Amino acid sequence: MTCLRKIGWLVLALTLFGSSVSVAQSGTTQYKCMIQMTNYMGEKAYIAVSLMDGQGAYEKTLYVLGSDKKWYKDVKAWYRALGKKTPNISAISGASVAGGDRSVIVLEIDNAKLNKDYKLRFESAVEDKEDHAKDIEIPLTTAGLSARSEGTGFIRYVRFSPN
Amino acid sequence: MTISVWRYSHLALAVSSFLLLVLASVTGIILAFEPVLQKSQPYRSDKFNELTLAQTLPVLKKNDAEISELSVDANQFVQIKGSDANGKNLTAYIDPQTGKMLGVPTPQTEFFQWVTALHRSLFLHEAGRFFIGLTAFLLLLITVSGTLLIIQRQRGVKRFFTRIVRENFAPYYHVVLGRLSLIPIFIMALSGTYLSLARFGLVATEKVSPKIDFDAIRSKPERTLADFAVFQNTRLADVQTIEFPFSEDVEDYYTLKLKDRELTVNQLTGDILSENHYPTAVLLTNLSLDLHTGRTSAIWALILAVASANILFFIYSGFAISWKRLKNRVKKNTYSADESRFIILVGSENGSTFRYAQFIHQQLLTLGEKSFLTELNKYAVFPKAEHLIALTATYGLGDAPTNATRFVDLVEKYPQPQPVRFSVLGFGSHAYPDFCKFAFEVNQLLARQSWAVPLVDIHTVNDKSPTDFGLWAEAWSQQTDLPMPVSLELLKAPTPDLETLVVTSTTKTAQPDGTFLIRLQNSHNQRVTSGDLLAIYPANDHRERLYSIGVVNNELQLSIRLHPNGLGSGFLHRQSPGETIQARIVNNDHFHFPKTAPTVVMIANGTGIAPFLGMIDRNTQKTPCHLYSGFRESVSFDLYRAFLEENRSAQQLTNLHVAYSREGEKQYVSQLIARDADFIAKVLATKGVIMICGSLSMQKDVIALLETICQTKLGKSVSFYQSHGQILMDCY
Repeated sequence: MTCLRKIGWLVLALTLFGSSVSVAQSGTTQYKCMIQMTNYMGEKAYIAVSLMDGQGAYEKTLYVLGSDKKWYKDVKAWYRALGKKTPNISAISGASVAGGDRSVIVLEIDNAKLNKDYKLRFESAVEDKEDHAKDIEIPLTTAGLSARSEGTGFIRYVRFSPN
Repeated sequence: MTISVWRYSHLALAVSSFLLLVLASVTGIILAFEPVLQKSQPYRSDKFNELTLAQTLPVLKKNDAEISELSVDANQFVQIKGSDANGKNLTAYIDPQTGKMLGVPTPQTEFFQWVTALHRSLFLHEAGRFFIGLTAFLLLLITVSGTLLIIQRQRGVKRFFTRIVRENFAPYYHVVLGRLSLIPIFIMALSGTYLSLARFGLVATEKVSPKIDFDAIRSKPERTLADFAVFQNTRLADVQTIEFPFSEDVEDYYTLKLKDRELTVNQLTGDILSENHYPTAVLLTNLSLDLHTGRTSAIWALILAVASANILFFIYSGFAISWKRLKNRVKKNTYSADESRFIILVGSENGSTFRYAQFIHQQLLTLGEKSFLTELNKYAVFPKAEHLIALTATYGLGDAPTNATRFVDLVEKYPQPQPVRFSVLGFGSHAYPDFCKFAFEVNQLLARQSWAVPLVDIHTVNDKSPTDFGLWAEAWSQQTDLPMPVSLELLKAPTPDLETLVVTSTTKTAQPDGTFLIRLQNSHNQRVTSGDLLAIYPANDHRERLYSIGVVNNELQLSIRLHPNGLGSGFLHRQSPGETIQARIVNNDHFHFPKTAPTVVMIANGTGIAPFLGMIDRNTQKTPCHLYSGFRESVSFDLYRAFLEENRSAQQLTNLHVAYSREGEKQYVSQLIARDADFIAKVLATKGVIMICGSLSMQKDVIALLETICQTKLGKSVSFYQSHGQILMDCY
C-alpha cells in the first residue's frame, strides 16, 4: 500500500516536473457526462455547464448545449456572469437537447479544482418557458462525480463516468 | 347564392392574411432550397438502404472513437456523436458501411437560421408562432374555398380539369395555376396548421419514458452485436437515433428511436427491454415536418418552392381580379330610375359586361338622353322608360350571373305601366356549351310580357368581340335613330375598309313596294358565305344599312323590298348592271349553314329568304333541307320559284312549303310550322338545326310556337336549343 502510494507520488512528481507539455496535459481530466432531460413539452433546451467557486461566483464555462448565440441570453444567470468577456465557446458547444432526450458530453476539468470547494452548475432554459439557474449543482468532488444527481428543472438527472 | 358566399370568403380570407402569406411564401421559397443544398453534400452511403444495425454497429465499435449517439437525418446521412481517441467531443458524418469519417456537420448557416426563425415566429416568439399558425389555417380555408370555386366554375367535380377558356391574364392563370398547385398548397397549409397545433400542445404528443424492469435484466448469455436479433432485423433506414449505453454496466442499454417506435436493448444479451410505439400524433408531426419542409426529398422541396411562388402570384392576380370587379361596378347614376327614358340593365359575374353597358350609358348621356344603368336584380317599375336594354352574361350551367338571379321573379312581379321597347344583348363564349343561355331566357321572358315591344332581335357577343357588339349597336342605332358609334374609341376595332362591288344584274320592280333581286360581284376574292351581311352607306355618312347575303353562282345576291322613301332599298334599286357601290362585308358566323347538321329547317318570310337561296345553291352535299317560307302574294314568290324548283329536282332542297298571307288560305309561315310540329320536334331531337330569317314579328311568333313544341314534345325550353346552336336566327 505505502509502496503503491510512493509510486503514485513519484509518478505525480514526474508528471508535474517533467516536460512542460505533459504538465499542461496532466493538469486536466476528461469526464463523460450524460444529461437526461425530463419529458417536458416545448422547444429544445439550452444548457450551460459552468464551474463555480465556493462562494457561488462564476469561474468558467465548461460546456454549452445549444449552438445559436441568439438564444444565449435566455440562459440568464450564465449570460450575465459572462458579461462582456464572451469566451470563444464554439469549441465547447454542441446541439441543444429536447424534452425526454439525453445528451452525452465530455467535460474537461482542471485536476487542481477537484475536491477544493468548487461546484459544477447546470443552468437550463427553454424558449418561452422558465429559466432554471440552478437546475443542478454538483460539488466538484470525487464523490460528486461518481453519483447520479437529480435535477430540479428540465434536467431529470446527470451522470458521470471518467473517460 | 352559394357562389357568392365562397367568393366572398375566398376574398375575405385572402385580404385578412395576405401580408403574412407574402412573408411566409417568400421565406418558404428560400427555405425550400435548404434541403436541396444539403442533399448535394456527398455524405450519403450508396448501400444505405440495404444496411442493418447488425452490420453497422460492430463496424463502429471497432472505431477509435467512443460513440454516445448515432443519428440518421432526413438526408439519410449517418452522424455520430461521442469522443475521439483523445477524449475530445466529436461529431462527424460517417460511412455506415465502413465506419470511415466522411466529414464534420456544419451547423445551420446563420442565414437559414434567420429565415427559419422569421418563417416560424416572425421573431416574436409565441405571439409570432400563433399568427403564423393562424395564417397556415387561413391558407387552408382559402384553398378549400378556392377548390369549391373551381368546381362551381367548371360545373362539376368531374370536369375539374377540363379546359378553361382564356379571357384575361389574371383570371385565367389564377384558375389554371390554382388547379395545378392546389394539392401542394393544400398539403403545405394542412401540415403547417398541424405543426402549429402540435407546437401549442393542442394535439397530444407527450413523450413516454421507457419502462424497464431492472430486476429482470440479465447479463447472460452474452452475445456479440452482430448476433443481436433485434439489430439483424432493424434496417438503418428505419432509424432516427440510437443512444449507446452510457457505461458498460448491464443496467445501461441501447435506446433505438426508430421511425415508428422506441426500443431499449440490453447491451450484453440483445434482449428487448421495452418497446413503445409512438402515438399517432407523433407520427403525424413527423409526416407534417417531412411534407412541410421537403427535408426528405429534394424534388418535393422544389415543388413546395414553386407552390410558394404560386401563392405570391395568386395574391397578385386575385387582387387584380377583385380590383377590376370593383372598378366595373355601377357608378352613381346622373339621373334617377324614375325620370330616365333609357334603362340599361346588366347581368355580370365578374364585371366585364359592365364595360359595354357603361359605354352605351355614356353615349346616351352625351346625346343628352336620360339614361339609368343598374343591375338586373335592381329591376323595378320605371315610369318614364321607353327603352330597356338588357346586357347579360351567363354563369355556370346556363345560370344567371350573381347580380341577375332575382330578375325573372321581379319581371313577373313588376309589369311596366307603359309599352317599353326592349333589346337583349348576351355576352358569352362559344367555348362553353350553354352559350348565352341566360340571355336567351331573358329575351324570351321579356317577349312574353304584354308591355314589352321587341326593338331589335337578341344579339350575342362571343368572346367580347367588338364586331359582335358593333352588330348590335348598328341594329339598335338604326331602329332608334340614335348614333351608337361603338367600335371606334372604346373597342378599338379598326375602321373597316370599304370594298368596291360591281352590280352584275338586277331584276327591278315596277310596284312601289315590290321585291327585287340584285347581284353583286366583289372585286377581291374575299371570302363571303351565305348568311353574312352586306353593309352599305347610301348617303356616305354614319347611316349604315345591312342586308343578308345569299351567295349564288359565286355572286352576292340580295333580296330587297323596295320601301317608299327607303334610304337603302331606294339606293340599291337605282343601281344598274355595271355600276359600282362601296360596301363592307360583315362576317356573321352565327348564321352560316351548319357544317354537320343531319337536317336543316329554314324558316323565312319575305326577303328573309335571301341567305337561304345562297345556302341551297351551295348545298352540293345534299344535306336534307326543308324550306318554310311566307309571302304576301304568289307574285312575291315568283322571283324565287324557278330557282327553288330547279334545286329541288337536283335534291339540294328536300321540301318546299309556302304560305301566302293575302291569297288563298291566307296563312302565315308559323301556321305551316304548327302543322308540321311533330317533324320539327324530331329535327331538334335528332340534333337538326332550325334557321330563322325574316321579320322580328315572324320570329316572335315562331319562337313562341317552338317554345310550345319544345315544352310539350321534348320537355325542354327552346332556350336550350338556342344555346346549343340548334336554333339560329337573323331577323330585323
